Amino acid sequence: MNSMKPSMALPTVNSKHLCAAGAALLAALAVVSLLTGKYPLTLEGLLAGDEMQLRVFWNLRASRTAVGIVGGFALGIAGFVYQTVFRNPLASPDVIGVSSGASAGAAAGILFLSGAAQVTLASFAGALAAVGLALALSALDKAGRHSTIVLAGIAVHSLAQTVLMCLKLTADPERELASIEYWIMGSLNAISGYSIKGNLILCLLCIAVLFLMHRQILLLSAEEGEARMLGVSVGRLRLAVLLAATLTVASIVSLSGLISFVGLLAPHGARMLTHRNDAGTMLLGGLLGGIILTAADILARSVSSVELPVSIFTSLLGAPFLIYLIVRGRKET
Amino acid sequence: MFRKKPKKLLCVLLVLTLLLSLTACGQTTAEDTAAATTAAGAETEAAPTEETQTQAQTEAPETGAPEVAEPASSYPVTVTDQAGREVTIEEEPQTLVSGYYISTSLLIALDLDEKLVGIEAKADTRPIYQLSDPALLELPSVGTAKEFDLEGCAALEPDLVILPLKLQSVVESLEALDIDVLLINPENQELLEETIRLIGEATNTSDRAQALLDFSAREEARLAEELAGAETPSVYLAGNSDFLSTAGDAMYQSDMIRMAGGVNAAAELTDTYWAEISYEQLLAWNPEYIILASDASYTTEDVLTDPNLAGCQAVENGSVYQIPGNAEAWDSPVPSGILGSVWLSSVLHPEICPQEDSMAVIDEFYETFYGFTYSEQ
Repeated sequence: MNSMKPSMALPTVNSKHLCAAGAALLAALAVVSLLTGKYPLTLEGLLAGDEMQLRVFWNLRASRTAVGIVGGFALGIAGFVYQTVFRNPLASPDVIGVSSGASAGAAAGILFLSGAAQVTLASFAGALAAVGLALALSALDKAGRHSTIVLAGIAVHSLAQTVLMCLKLTADPERELASIEYWIMGSLNAISGYSIKGNLILCLLCIAVLFLMHRQILLLSAEEGEARMLGVSVGRLRLAVLLAATLTVASIVSLSGLISFVGLLAPHGARMLTHRNDAGTMLLGGLLGGIILTAADILARSVSSVELPVSIFTSLLGAPFLIYLIVRGRKET
Repeated sequence: MFRKKPKKLLCVLLVLTLLLSLTACGQTTAEDTAAATTAAGAETEAAPTEETQTQAQTEAPETGAPEVAEPASSYPVTVTDQAGREVTIEEEPQTLVSGYYISTSLLIALDLDEKLVGIEAKADTRPIYQLSDPALLELPSVGTAKEFDLEGCAALEPDLVILPLKLQSVVESLEALDIDVLLINPENQELLEETIRLIGEATNTSDRAQALLDFSAREEARLAEELAGAETPSVYLAGNSDFLSTAGDAMYQSDMIRMAGGVNAAAELTDTYWAEISYEQLLAWNPEYIILASDASYTTEDVLTDPNLAGCQAVENGSVYQIPGNAEAWDSPVPSGILGSVWLSSVLHPEICPQEDSMAVIDEFYETFYGFTYSEQ
């Protein structure tokens, strides 16, 4: 918990160096990602301007890589923001119902609408509705305690799960139920240049907003009284920050389906590396998220002859990393 | 030092376990997806072990079948169902309950629909009932495989209940009420044939069951003969739930393509359930035909206008078709499944298998076994 507060301790390793290393690793993974896939792309073909190869490269390969990087980055940043604002190391997009809202929305989209674009929209709407409801419920508490948001979020999360269960029950097991299950497992296999523009722009915008507000975000992690003394309108600020963080998550999750563990793990990893809770750590959290998701997606599309759910690999890569950091942290103290 | 070591060891062990499970994930994709879909409560329970077990059992009855078919079953008759249970039926069953659309369709084909007193839920989504015996739609529902209505089923006091293998858990309760239960598992062609023989034997309709099997065998042989030496275009079969889910070589649908004189573009996949692929993979396969499953939740139009598929042979040539579902989904193991191959042969080889001929076969099938003319619907 201590590391959640803005720490005044001197950093053991310069976070700038860590960020540079993270960015280099992410860039290397991006190159690997561009080189990995089922369509036989050749350098000669691409340079010679082979229409088909160029289309596959830009529309499918590059788009998928971009979503991996930006998506992982967004999940890492959003996780950092949630954990900081709620002063809770276990906070993640699930806490205020984003993921379950997105799932319920996607399930409704699969059942009642048709086409991938509509499902994306429905899932986005579901995520926003869930968070809107959670924030509205928490506003009923005039004292404005931050625990109220968490409680409201958990209530909305359960509600969304119930809606999801009802939708699953009415689903046709052969097609709709299978679709819903596969959507929830999460995958980047259907990503293409035609479907991602809106989501990516929104996501990048919200990430930019979060970085511009990084001072305020860190202030929110201070005791409420302290923040008020510093002249911060806690309630409104918290609402704005949470909304921006939620939008980043919703814009990614509605494209890819649920991606587990990145939002929780990346910010923890960053904090354990820098031993601080500042803007540099936030950036490093994003980079770590991008690294994990890109690496996981490379594996998801290449380990087997079929596409595997990306969450399997985010957890498989993430868990050992977290354990390593914990063990390393113990040794140092 | 002393105290740190176990921790280090634990850490290494944990990482190793995770890595091991990672490689395991890569190798056993089939089971992985199968397990995932079973968890989803999907229609199929394609646990590979069960399949091989029951497949092994198929061998035996196959040789014994003609002997059984000759004389009408004399009761009591003892049969082995597809869960490997021995069931003794004392008298010819007069009232039947079917909790699975495949057995309901089979019972119509065996001319036993008059004896049905209860069928599975969502019967109104199966056009075959409306076409051949609308009275079935009025029957009480015994629920679905997800939510079986045990009490409702028992209240109908049937002589024999036919259920899918996944409802194994309710067998004991029904047996305690002195109701005979047969579990069926028609997951592929061989298992379906076994199901047909089993039900025929249990209900004293072995002759008709044999006629049904003969029809499929005859058509399979005809297609093999006519298409011998013909070119085999590559066919991508797009699944019900999603355009990017497809059937690998181990699946029923792959046989359908082969019998119709085509090659499954996804033959390299060994999954026993629908597998997810990427657009890239599809473009790399570059199939000559794209065939949509009959219950697909999207249309041929969606596929033809999908910008991600530009450059794929099938889309460029407009060779995108959907398996008709006017009566039944021929791409699933239903008694009429062979008609999927008959229909597809006319799509892939119109010059060898003219459409009129295929339509005549389809009409013959439904007139013989279901009592209506398909082409007039």
